Amino acid sequence: MSLADTATLRTRVEETGLLWGLVGLVALLSLLPIGRLVVEGLAPGGQLSATALGKVLASPTTWTATWNSLVTAISGTVLAVLVGGSVALLATLTDIRARNAFTFCFVLPLMIAPQVTALAWLQLFGPSSTLLKLIGLAPPLGSRNPLYSREGIVLLLGLQYAPLVFLTLRAGLRALPKELIEAGLAAGAHPLMVLRTVVLPLMTPPLVAGIALCFVSCLGNFGIPAFLGIPGNFIVLPTLIYQRLAGLGPGVLSEVAILSLLIGVIAMAGILLQDFMMRRRDFRITTTSSAARPFELGRWRRPVEILLWSFAILVLALPFLGLLTTSLIPAFGVPLNAATATLANYAYVLIEHAASRRAFVNSFLMSAGAALLIVLICVPLGYFIVWKRSRALRLLNLAAELPYAMPGVVLAIAAILLFLKPLPVLNVSLYNTVWIIVFAYLARFLVLGLRPVVSGYLQIDRTLEEAAQVAGAGLPRRLVTVIFPLVAPAAVAGALLIFLTAFNELTVSALLWSSGAETLGVVVFSFEQGGDSTYASALATITVLVTVGLMLSTTLFAQRLPQGVLPWRD
Amino acid sequence: MTTQTRRNVLAAAALGALLATTPALAQAPSGKLVLYTSQPEKDAAQTTAAFKKAYPNVEVEIFRSGTTEVMGKLAAEISAGQPGADVLLIADAASMEILKGQNQLLAYPGAKTEGLQEGSFDKDKTYFGSKLITTGIAYNTAAKEKPTSWTDLDKPAYKGQISMPSPLYSGAAAIMLSTMTARPDLGWKLFEGLKANEAVAVRGNGAVLKAVATGEKPYGVLVDFMAYNARKQGSPIDFVFPKEGAPAVTEPVAIVKTTKNEAAAKAFVDFILSDEGQKLALSMGYIPAKPSVGSPSWLPEGTRINVMPSDIAAVVKVTEADKARFATLFGN
Amino acid sequence: MARLTIDRAQKRFGSYLALDHVSIDVEDGEFLAVLGPSGCGKTTLLRQIAGFDKLDGGAIRIGERLVSSAETHIPPEHRKLGIVFQSYALWPHMTVAENVAYGLTVAGVRDPERARRVAAALDLVGLNGFAERRPGLLSGGQRQRVALARCLVTEPSLVLLDEPLANLDVHLRAAMEDEFARFHERTGTTMVYITHDQAEAMALADRIAVMDRGRLLQLATPSLLYREPANATVAGFIGEGMVLPATVLSAPQAGRCRVDVLGLEAVVRCRPGQPVTDGAKLCLRARDIGLAAAGQDGLAAVVERLSYQGGHFRLEARPACAGDILLHLDANEPAPAAPGDTVRIAIHDGWVIPDAEALREAA
Repeated sequence: MSLADTATLRTRVEETGLLWGLVGLVALLSLLPIGRLVVEGLAPGGQLSATALGKVLASPTTWTATWNSLVTAISGTVLAVLVGGSVALLATLTDIRARNAFTFCFVLPLMIAPQVTALAWLQLFGPSSTLLKLIGLAPPLGSRNPLYSREGIVLLLGLQYAPLVFLTLRAGLRALPKELIEAGLAAGAHPLMVLRTVVLPLMTPPLVAGIALCFVSCLGNFGIPAFLGIPGNFIVLPTLIYQRLAGLGPGVLSEVAILSLLIGVIAMAGILLQDFMMRRRDFRITTTSSAARPFELGRWRRPVEILLWSFAILVLALPFLGLLTTSLIPAFGVPLNAATATLANYAYVLIEHAASRRAFVNSFLMSAGAALLIVLICVPLGYFIVWKRSRALRLLNLAAELPYAMPGVVLAIAAILLFLKPLPVLNVSLYNTVWIIVFAYLARFLVLGLRPVVSGYLQIDRTLEEAAQVAGAGLPRRLVTVIFPLVAPAAVAGALLIFLTAFNELTVSALLWSSGAETLGVVVFSFEQGGDSTYASALATITVLVTVGLMLSTTLFAQRLPQGVLPWRD
Repeated sequence: MTTQTRRNVLAAAALGALLATTPALAQAPSGKLVLYTSQPEKDAAQTTAAFKKAYPNVEVEIFRSGTTEVMGKLAAEISAGQPGADVLLIADAASMEILKGQNQLLAYPGAKTEGLQEGSFDKDKTYFGSKLITTGIAYNTAAKEKPTSWTDLDKPAYKGQISMPSPLYSGAAAIMLSTMTARPDLGWKLFEGLKANEAVAVRGNGAVLKAVATGEKPYGVLVDFMAYNARKQGSPIDFVFPKEGAPAVTEPVAIVKTTKNEAAAKAFVDFILSDEGQKLALSMGYIPAKPSVGSPSWLPEGTRINVMPSDIAAVVKVTEADKARFATLFGN
Repeated sequence: MARLTIDRAQKRFGSYLALDHVSIDVEDGEFLAVLGPSGCGKTTLLRQIAGFDKLDGGAIRIGERLVSSAETHIPPEHRKLGIVFQSYALWPHMTVAENVAYGLTVAGVRDPERARRVAAALDLVGLNGFAERRPGLLSGGQRQRVALARCLVTEPSLVLLDEPLANLDVHLRAAMEDEFARFHERTGTTMVYITHDQAEAMALADRIAVMDRGRLLQLATPSLLYREPANATVAGFIGEGMVLPATVLSAPQAGRCRVDVLGLEAVVRCRPGQPVTDGAKLCLRARDIGLAAAGQDGLAAVVERLSYQGGHFRLEARPACAGDILLHLDANEPAPAAPGDTVRIAIHDGWVIPDAEALREAA
């Protein structure tokens, strides 16, 4: 074979090898847990049986929960898109001041566990609300809290996931070159019209990515409907699953498996819809000029700034203040004042309680590790899905939704079923180590990295890669030197989402942790359950402060990163 | 062989056989012991520390989570064919009864059950209550009313101000539901009244505690130790044992059938049921299962709690139906 | 040996045939322009040569080497060519120097050799001081030149250019045309230049391949294309040719023959072997016709439009007997007629477009 032919063969081997390596990896992370659940649902104990399936499908509660899940997921998504989307547009395209600080603050609530947010809002609307008492609108003791309702759930879901839409959309908007907006303005169009006819259509990929993520997140969220739905007797699929699990009895795992698969089916339907909407449309931006010049708001600037900041304060500061105040009192319900304030909770958590310290290190390493690994997988994965249109990967793309959509407790059960016995060839057991949790995180959060990256690819002009190809660069080199820098803003948005979500997550590690492999969520949860809310709040406060510190520290080496990579740095 | 020699040989053989067949009795228990528990973390830590003092050669590993999570994990492990726990210490006997029914528990006939409260342990000796956790009415110190009986909660003055743990999500609450609805003086009428009074069923005792302590819902159905521990730390909360009696759960301990360390597991059960173990429970603020050990500090001297007895086996039979009825009543 | 051989290339998109048995041989060192309207397949052809797409039939060879066919496909990174894209495709996260150096870095060339070659390439395109700038801050023309430098630094034997001047203004275009011409002269690189602008193609190319709807219509030097178009489409596309029906009256003699067009007799060029026939087509250019002098025979036509071109007028008129044909010619100042007037148009020269069948027989 001639030299040229061996080179061609090597290229083909590289590309095919990479493709099938990715297929294997995604299949391992997504299909394996699902497959195990299907087996558990339809063939528990090794024998094919449709009893669980029949029981689940015949129960009217199943369908009530399904309907409720759909309604809250869709409404929550709509709210999140409206809020997150408008904030992204305002923060990225206009000339409001302190844009970076605002972005920073708006993204932080992703770090605060949903139940903490729920509790803070409950107190805001409840009879003991300081704020309401101040303005004299505090409801009388014992009156029904309006948040214990479907509307309350939708409100909190929307607020919880607005930063998600914000992050993906902002990454997309940063890629928008100024000429496109200027052309519209020059043609005499009003800024709002330019927004509607030029900006939003081009922003369809990141918007749709945000919508898809949001929908699946709302569908699979357990904390908020658990907190607000149970008292209000509003049941959704995740809480129904938990209920079944609490009920025990024979066949409970099968029922739980089938209900989780139901959630998965709904999630996949949502994604198929998204795919369909994006078909055959070109969103590529071919010019390489600098970021869009902001729209000028003129006399609207101050009111808009006030509005945005009050919103950020409401959404961020409120729950955080709730955490902070609870962490400083000796026992729940004691009012906070100079006499009662104490740092004893912090002392206990930081000094005495060894598990808390371990949990910090574990959670940090696992979340950062998962974020990094997932992004590293998603960049070539996105390449094959968007540009090579590999059919195998496009199908797996759908499968990646499932481990994220299903309740964390079910994914944990699947992981237990899979990894309880030692691995076949290597004879090493992942069970009761950090590695089973890492596997669960990789499986669960893969989609959080994939959606933003795919939308990033849809916005890049492929001639940039073709130019590198012609210059002689093989696929691995192209991925590293040309493609990754271009898709970096989207990838970082994804990595951030993964880190923030994994750092505090609870439902997965609640079943998988073991001594030495504690996570922050687990430790906070066990404090809460034991009635030690003050310790829980202290730990949660420290978590928030540490994360803020980490995020701030990224600005230190922001200079060396390409433009647009960090969402809070222009 | 002479008769004397034969006798010696026999004696030696008998002694040897004795020694050979009872090595466990001759040695102290050692090795690893895995405990799955739903106790609050501090209590679990204290229990295992105390156990380790008594049996220093045993290495205890704890998995601690909510009852649902612990049972879910165990169910998955059983389904995968390799349960990881040696001993269980969880908050509701109903789950234990179900596990017993699935033949997952090891009977320990040699357990010392003298002095334990009547009905707190399984008659087949597969699980044993470690303490008594009663449920009563907690109320915020600033609340207008001071309830004294369960039926007070049905009064109009309490409308919209009550919370209770949901039996759909809490095994202990499910036992309470079945116990109370079986009583003629309370029955379903009590719960229908609660529903009419807009009582809210929340996810667990923790949520009830929060609601009462903040005054959001000033009256709540709550477990005793949680209310008293909170009060000790300064929370504005008070607790009362209603006139009709307080339903109790026992937080049983049991040995898993597939345990790899039977000796250590039995030692653990022994420890829990021993005076020392019971005194430990007392010091943690619980009512011990062995009344002779004493009563916790928060219980006024000489008070006899009117404990509502629960027939666990009967409860397990009706629990599904009761929960379904509760769900319909409270509008699921 | 031809540098680039395209042999009956075929490419289908669904049911649409984008390349229909296109065959072109490009000589070593030649400057070939591929000319045609939008959608004619020229970009598709370029992408096949570069290797971004696979052929459905036929073959493409670079030098001796088969790079594309229905069975084989060598990926772009191993074809050793250079491309200048229409959008320039400069990498925004790299400086100009890094952009240009990329091909060298991939090939393993290190500093100082690499830096030297990058500086030389930038010098060649006149961008000496721009090494550390970022593409986002450059003007269109500057980006164009960076793209060219990047393409040339690896000294490829074949360079493809995809409508490189399309996004530039008129003056810049002229200057860049100069650049390309000088560059080609200096280095002797084989260049394949895609464009829809015939003035560019005429000015720069050694030969032009005219394409329409996936088919190659004619491959010839610019002069030949202009003077002797092979069919009516080429005739109409190049130089604003006018195609009129004609009857050939006499056999060719010294390359010319007599024809009758719309009642007017004229002597025009034709190919040797042009038969006498009455279904022929005549190709006329603006310079081939003019207003008949007094006493000269001419075609009666009604003036439709007169537009000033700066120094002369462009006169458009329709023949009285064939109102669907529009003739145009140049006339000196002062304006010879006004719209609506009837003028007489004389034919000095022309070209009888060969019959397609006859061509095939001759081939």
